[in-house]
Amino acid sequence: MESKFTEVYQQQASEDSHETDCEKVANLLDIVIDGEATSDQSEFFTKHIEDCVTCFESHQKQKLLKGLISGHLKRVIVPERLALSIKAKIQETV
Amino acid sequence: MRIIRDKRLYKGTNLSQMSEETGKQLSKEEKDARFEAELLPVLDPLYNFAYRLTLDEDDANDLVQETYLKAYRFFDYFEQGTNAKAWLFRILKNSFINEFRKKSKQPAKVDYSEVEGYYNSDDVEGEGGVTTTTDMRSESVQDLIGDEVASALNALPVDFRTVIILCDLEGFTYEEMAKILDIPIGTVRSRLHRARNSLKEKLEKYAKTMGYNS
Repeated sequence: MESKFTEVYQQQASEDSHETDCEKVANLLDIVIDGEATSDQSEFFTKHIEDCVTCFESHQKQKLLKGLISGHLKRVIVPERLALSIKAKIQETV
Repeated sequence: MRIIRDKRLYKGTNLSQMSEETGKQLSKEEKDARFEAELLPVLDPLYNFAYRLTLDEDDANDLVQETYLKAYRFFDYFEQGTNAKAWLFRILKNSFINEFRKKSKQPAKVDYSEVEGYYNSDDVEGEGGVTTTTDMRSESVQDLIGDEVASALNALPVDFRTVIILCDLEGFTYEEMAKILDIPIGTVRSRLHRARNSLKEKLEKYAKTMGYNS
């Protein structure tokens, strides 16, 4: 989308595009930490957070949040009898 | 919940199963062995999922049993070597919606003031930055973090809890989640996003009571 702007418009556009980049990154946060981003999206994301502290921090936070679930949520222990009772019920079932 | 399915009457007369798709004869023993080999390894994640949905061990137990019995009934339709975990999670989630959702307990409320009181009463003071850093590695603190994460998660609406468990605990892809939950991938994404915001809010509130700034 190349078009001619006046100086004022250009300035606005560059501010807007910065804002849009941060917004884009915010929208990509989840798919990036979940490993669902395309290589283009990842590249854009990585480049942006190298320069933008705010987005860098949001990324750190989002990773931390995911890590809290995967790393700290205790797994409940399956009752021993459960597997046995499933097997027994299955054997009874024709 | 009791699942009684007394088919002993038919035992012996119908020991072998006919697979409709392949037309291949499969003895009950073979079917059972295959069923156990393919599907029982999912028992642990499945039980954990059931527990996080129902927040009750007995309900989780019933839900998992029900899921396996349903899976057994439809095992002929299960293609060997395909995603057994996603298949079972989908069956369990449907059973949960159909039967358990109505009677499952309300999410536990987190009482932050209680947590706060506990910390203030002990040697962990707000400014004890060094102490806190050291303590962060101790087992009891790890346990407390785990408990707090669990409380915050349990306080989320069940739809939010579900996507977080599927994604962050079980590592399902968005595509698998969409299949398990019967929703489009776009909905998976937006639901996950809202769920994380909500979880973040709850945990940040907790972090503040402990004197951390987010």
